[in-house]
Amino acid sequence: MTTAAAPAPRASEAIDARRIRTLQGVGMLCGLTAGAWLGAAEAPTKLVTLGLSPVVISLSMVIGVFLARWTLPALIQGTSYVAADLRQAPHLIVWAILAGCLWAVANTLTIFAVRDVGLSIAFPLWNTNSLLGIIWGIVFFRELRGADTRRWLGVIGGAVLMFVGATVLAIASASQSASRDALRGVAAALMAGVLWGTMYIPYRKAYLTGMSPLSFVTFFTVGELGMMAALGVTYSGGVAPLWDQLSGARHVLFWLLAGGFVWVVGDLFQQYAVKYAGITRGIPLSNTNQLWGLMWGILVFGELRSARGAVLAQVIGGSVVMAIGAGLIALSSVSRSEHLRWEEAAAREGDRYRVDPEYTRARIAGESAGAVRRRSWIDWVVVGIATAIIVAFAAIARAPQIDVAAGWTVALVVATIAMLVVAGGALWRVTRFN
Amino acid sequence: MPDDRSQPPKSWINLVLRDLQFWVPVGVLVVGLMVLRWIS
Repeated sequence: MTTAAAPAPRASEAIDARRIRTLQGVGMLCGLTAGAWLGAAEAPTKLVTLGLSPVVISLSMVIGVFLARWTLPALIQGTSYVAADLRQAPHLIVWAILAGCLWAVANTLTIFAVRDVGLSIAFPLWNTNSLLGIIWGIVFFRELRGADTRRWLGVIGGAVLMFVGATVLAIASASQSASRDALRGVAAALMAGVLWGTMYIPYRKAYLTGMSPLSFVTFFTVGELGMMAALGVTYSGGVAPLWDQLSGARHVLFWLLAGGFVWVVGDLFQQYAVKYAGITRGIPLSNTNQLWGLMWGILVFGELRSARGAVLAQVIGGSVVMAIGAGLIALSSVSRSEHLRWEEAAAREGDRYRVDPEYTRARIAGESAGAVRRRSWIDWVVVGIATAIIVAFAAIARAPQIDVAAGWTVALVVATIAMLVVAGGALWRVTRFN
Repeated sequence: MPDDRSQPPKSWINLVLRDLQFWVPVGVLVVGLMVLRWIS
């Protein structure tokens, strides 16, 4: 496929207010869609029988993530587009790999945190990542500068409400696992939040420069898989024991790979949300994944079936508070004056790394900057290999021994795909996935 | 006063290493690995 690129406007040309509103709307929609897909990613992992080591579960999901992160960009943009992006801003390879390393360590820490203090304490602690992300957005990238009081209150108040709602939901949906080592578990959860919150620095760095999220994630996943493999080898006691564990789990690996694949779709939308709505709006909106995860748990897998009335009230109350917080943020769109500060930050970034200002300006506006999409045989080889691996694992996968509510499964799958179609369609119409 | 235009362009890896913002996630990653080692 070849898409003719629109002529890029001059670097000095400011992005008009109407275009900013459109990009903001798409960014917010991407944030909400990210929440649905990141929440759905938890479903396949629930199908896996317990008994696997946490590191093996995490590594298997990351392998699925790796496959998806090379396949989807190759399918949508073609590797030549990714290469063209990297020629414009090669320094972002380092930033992307660094972000992937941060993600892998954070994800592993969450597993230990849940083991040591349970989900109810661990989740709210690592959920502070969006609050830290907002701080980095304000400090490093001039987000919310030039915004009026209403928008400041909307974003900060909305994020605090979402944090409170998430805390209530986590307490309500807590597992009954006994606390093994509270201090270490709390430290692990807090550190995971700090790592994820800091991961948004490379994200924003890339998108202020103008890089397409599809290009960024291709290298992000190199850091992710590399770090996760190193952790897997270290904590399994060597390559051979890790291989033995993976081989022993081969009948359930497909479900973990599927979880990783679904997660990537959500993460891609999260990256577009950061690009077009900023960290301060995009990340809190994508944190609605907890609501979706809860819906999958309660409606499809029958969790909380025997819960007391007080617990159900907590679930409903926490969900409403989270939804109100998300709504407040969604209504606090970026004003023209705030967007000018973003553009100043982008110009500084481009100047520091000697990136063509024409490229940066065009990409921030969601334009192609002259890049041409063309799929080659390399793309089809990448897609073919990834598909073959997934099909091979699907062929040896065992059907899960777990009851699911078929009606609710269909309803949630339809809702999640509908959000993909709506957000993906809007993203294509407005930005051509730039 | 030296003329900047006559200097060869710095490599992008040097530009990354001279960026203060780069060392924030690097520092957080190192601390994260230390916490992971401590809790496991």
